[in-house]
Amino acid sequence: MEGQIIANGFHHAYWGFPIATYFWLVGASAGSFVISTLGWVFGVKKYKPTAFFASNMAIALLMIVPLILIIDLGKPFRFFHLLMLPSFSHWSAPMIWGSCFILSYPVGMMFYSYFVYKKNEKWARILGILAVVLALCTHWYTGVVIQLNPSRLPNHASVAPILFLTGAYVSGIGLLNILLWIRNRFVGPKSQVSSGLIADMARLMLYGIVFDLFLLWNEFLQMTYGLGEEHTMLYDVLLGPFRWPYFYLEIIWGLVIPLIILIIPKINRQLFWVLLASFMCATGVYGMRIWWVMASFYYQGHY
Amino acid sequence: MGERVYGFNGVSPSAGKPGRKRYAMVIDLRRCTGCNACTASCKTAYDVPLGESRIWLMEAEVGEFPNTKRNVLPRLCNQCDQPSCIRNCPTKATFKHPDGFVLQRYNRCIGCRTCMVACPYNARHFLPEHRRDPRNPRNVADKCDFCIVRVTRGLAPICVDSCTGGAMIFGDMNDPESEVSRVFLENKTFTLRPEQGNAPQVFYIGLNEQIADPEFAFHHRSAQLHARYNTFKRNSEVGGEMAGNIIDTDMGFFGLVRQALRNYKTFFKDAPHKIFRGLF
Repeated sequence: MEGQIIANGFHHAYWGFPIATYFWLVGASAGSFVISTLGWVFGVKKYKPTAFFASNMAIALLMIVPLILIIDLGKPFRFFHLLMLPSFSHWSAPMIWGSCFILSYPVGMMFYSYFVYKKNEKWARILGILAVVLALCTHWYTGVVIQLNPSRLPNHASVAPILFLTGAYVSGIGLLNILLWIRNRFVGPKSQVSSGLIADMARLMLYGIVFDLFLLWNEFLQMTYGLGEEHTMLYDVLLGPFRWPYFYLEIIWGLVIPLIILIIPKINRQLFWVLLASFMCATGVYGMRIWWVMASFYYQGHY
Repeated sequence: MGERVYGFNGVSPSAGKPGRKRYAMVIDLRRCTGCNACTASCKTAYDVPLGESRIWLMEAEVGEFPNTKRNVLPRLCNQCDQPSCIRNCPTKATFKHPDGFVLQRYNRCIGCRTCMVACPYNARHFLPEHRRDPRNPRNVADKCDFCIVRVTRGLAPICVDSCTGGAMIFGDMNDPESEVSRVFLENKTFTLRPEQGNAPQVFYIGLNEQIADPEFAFHHRSAQLHARYNTFKRNSEVGGEMAGNIIDTDMGFFGLVRQALRNYKTFFKDAPHKIFRGLF
């Protein structure tokens, strides 16, 4: 950043909070859709009651995404430039792949939701497989958009899309748990989701948390072997300007405290604690999206 | 005019081809005085908005008085042979001209800023909503274009023309008789961030780690300069464009919330201007 200051060229961070929110929304959508397909596609029968709600929640979250993305463009009316394959758009740009995914993913989800509603096992399964692949691709591509920038130090790592997907999985389940609990207040006892099922989903979330911490550990372990820039980045992300989104919000609030809550045998099936852990996970992942998007743009200013 | 190059190409499309130009620049840092004439003339010629630059100067001072030295480094778009910005541009708005220029098409750009994220040299900037001349493009990415408008008419780029020390040498690398070829062959030249694999076409003579290595050059952070940066970010509409503005002294929890709210405010404030500008 000193380079910018001294040169009087105050180039700003290019993508900001709206894009971080977009990553978070797409992630939560993909995560909740993965849970939705557990019952109908992967044959885990006990998750079937959540399928319809989770799929609809994923659709609703994904409806906000194009609004944010299009408004964030400098020229919103030119968004169709992204969709004019193969003559106009540029195949090598990850953003083009993402445009295809973002368009097709909600359509797949809508058909899946319809067949789940009709209790059509066969077609729900077929479209579930299709839509869950699209869900993973949609979020994979957000990681790739960030990853394929060779000069962005922490982001240019092959672990980036996996880290994004893990964050998506964790935040999706967290948000789904909270919304299922809210839904339980408004529906009759017959269609309520039992708190045991919510605790089971929190158990799934726990695996995601452990894997997420493992990936972050790998990511930052690698940076300790870097050059000066990596060290500056590591220090300032952990303790400098980005300590709040990264260290406190993501690591402590979003991963470590829920991990502790969910591994204590006495409380890890109590509804209050499970919901608290879910809330912390869902909000904590937003911290990851913030630092992942903005921190490396902040440091790029060296050059 | 040959075909434009959009993707990962490998070599400069005109490298070694007779009859084709391959424009490049050599900057002799031993002759650069850091006078900023290039910055000023470029900003004037192209209406580069406040806070952004097509060419700019990095400065770093080393040593203790009286044994001090000021290193200067003019920075501009490196017109790379394997440009990350072109690979990542989703709409082919930016492309490699066969003669070596990396150019931007404003009518095609959607303003997604992927190119700016991809550029390892920070050479791209965003044109804000408010321009001094309203006929100029806005809300699209922009960059140094090696003054293609001047070069195709037989003039040197304006930074080269205005260089007071004669430090910047521009010309056709395919022509062995040109000054730039001669200087390039006779001197040891360096490029910035060669490890990024972008094959930059701006070469420096006398580049050393005191200026090229940011960790070395800017190890001692100046509180005064940071205050200036933050003041600029707080007060400038340009710095706040596109909701990605960070004030680095305000990154506590409440500061983060404050910045998020402020960024969203600019995000929603800009939205109607971007969407309905043609209508009223």
